Amino acid sequence: MPGRRVLITGVGSPLGSALAQRLAADPSFDYVAGLDTRRPSRPLEGVDFIEADIRDPVIATLIPQAEVDTVMHNQIVRRVGPGMSSRSMHDINVIGSLQLLTACERSPSIEAIVIRGSAGIYGSEPHAPQFFDEEMARLYPLRSRFQRDVGEIENLFDTYARRHAGTVCTMLRYQPSIGPLVDTQITRYLSAPIVPTYLGFDPRMQFVHEDDALDALAATVRRPVRGAVNVAGPGSIGLTRMIRSAGRPSLPVPAPLFARVSDSMGRLGVPRLSDDFQRLLRYGRAVDTRRLVDEVGFTPGYSTPAAVDDYVRRRDGGRVPPSLAAVGI
Amino acid sequence: MAGFGQGVAVATMFLRGLRGGLDAGLDLPEAMARSAAELPRGVRDGVRAALRRLDGDYQEDEWGFDAEFVDAVEPLFDFLYDRWWRVDVTGVANVPAHGRALLAANHAGIMPWDATMMSMALMREHPLPRQPRFLVLNWAFDLPYVSVVIRKVGGVVASPHNAVRLLESDQLVAVFPEGVKGTGKDYSQRYRLQRFGRGGFVEIALRTGAPIVPVAVVGSEEIYPKLGEAPLLARAVGAPFFPLTPTFPWLGPLGAVPLPSKWRIEFCEPIETASLGPDAAADRALVLELSERVRETIQRKVLENVVERGPAFV
Repeated sequence: MPGRRVLITGVGSPLGSALAQRLAADPSFDYVAGLDTRRPSRPLEGVDFIEADIRDPVIATLIPQAEVDTVMHNQIVRRVGPGMSSRSMHDINVIGSLQLLTACERSPSIEAIVIRGSAGIYGSEPHAPQFFDEEMARLYPLRSRFQRDVGEIENLFDTYARRHAGTVCTMLRYQPSIGPLVDTQITRYLSAPIVPTYLGFDPRMQFVHEDDALDALAATVRRPVRGAVNVAGPGSIGLTRMIRSAGRPSLPVPAPLFARVSDSMGRLGVPRLSDDFQRLLRYGRAVDTRRLVDEVGFTPGYSTPAAVDDYVRRRDGGRVPPSLAAVGI
Repeated sequence: MAGFGQGVAVATMFLRGLRGGLDAGLDLPEAMARSAAELPRGVRDGVRAALRRLDGDYQEDEWGFDAEFVDAVEPLFDFLYDRWWRVDVTGVANVPAHGRALLAANHAGIMPWDATMMSMALMREHPLPRQPRFLVLNWAFDLPYVSVVIRKVGGVVASPHNAVRLLESDQLVAVFPEGVKGTGKDYSQRYRLQRFGRGGFVEIALRTGAPIVPVAVVGSEEIYPKLGEAPLLARAVGAPFFPLTPTFPWLGPLGAVPLPSKWRIEFCEPIETASLGPDAAADRALVLELSERVRETIQRKVLENVVERGPAFV
């Protein structure tokens, strides 16, 4: 049986680099290509780096040339990064996905497409079921810009899956990652000297440990399944308990003032919180992970409380080499 | 709630001891240690538990149920159960000792007092005590603090998905099929069961094969005698309705204190559903028929118990 050939977008990101390296070291993969505008922070052995912008129509000729059987789309931007406008975030997310799917349409060799999407599609709602399963994506209106991006990506993707019945399309819906090395909104929030919370609310939160985030991606590339799959550490944790075990003082703010107060706390080292994240801090969100376990065959190593404990312990333990932390795998 | 008063008492005692130590010429850490050592053991344990909780060292399950919190507020619930409402319980053996089961009860008012008294009854009277989870009107989860406390004592958002998931993990689940129609019942309508919606709770029981235990609760519909509504206020605060009772909102937060009616809770004979199979959930006629049967049972038992109880407030 010939080995698999896979292309990874967003390979310059820590997660993309780590996945590329892992697959390149796996003998069942003959060829691993990585596409990004950013070069990976360290050279990736055995990975063919394609320097291209996912928004550029030129990828419609580059990708078919690579003759891959699997595309792993790992370039969905979750928050506005430094030097990025919210407009360019939208472009990377939606136009990028559109260009990528167009390129896939022109590549007859493609058998599977895996997208690392977001559980943000479910939203954070006071009346929501405690655990969203994959069928509950459109229970509530999409409220924030990022949610609408994700909604649009899912639509593009569903249309593609319908038109190309021969291609296995997996939409992974990731909860936010947490861990000693990863750099996400939640780790930034927990690193602030004082954390703003909603007065009188203690939402149920859920995360995926950074190691599981990578392992789940690798597992899905090895065994893609049709449709959406939630990715998270099972269980949930109360925000209050989480902040307390992280040893942060919290500042409860009445809901109508929250956005203004948290924005003005920038000088104190509180990161800017996106609209999604603010709703998450008020109402929380958790997903059901049975599909990931039963169909993809991947069982997360960390439950949500265990992931938070590990984050707190290893962050405080100071065993994190600073150079790696700066890279932020 | 109960912990708060206790906390204040402890803090006062501690500060008094500290003051005494400082006056006697000790330095601050030593005076603190001495003062802490003088606190009676029970109080010291309480302080230690509170400090531990402040470090985030406590457990909640994936639904937010917090067993330690329930233990801490139990004295208050004990008081309500024994003294305030003088709850009489019958038929507690009808609740299965293990495995899944769906309790269906009558309901009035926004606050889930009847659910908490049902759990008290099961915790105290059942040979194998079990803590039921209960579905609470969605609107309560918009409210600051209320939402936190309800989750900690075992309440979840009234969504069929939640009920199914809880039953699949073999929990005891309490539902109030009258829904919002029961919540907003007028005082003159007390103990007249409203329509049971579309029988969603029966579908859930059929799908999960959980037996349905009808529960008649008497007393709970007199604690907040709703005489009227203020629709404009309701719209202003985004509530489904805004109740007016003899005490609420006239007395402010005091108006939310429930009246001390006399209570009776009867757990009725369970209706078995497992033999019908999960496909029966799609059978409209069967669902509505079962739903009506449960409603009739509760209505009959409620009226029996009202008669047996006699006057409400004596």
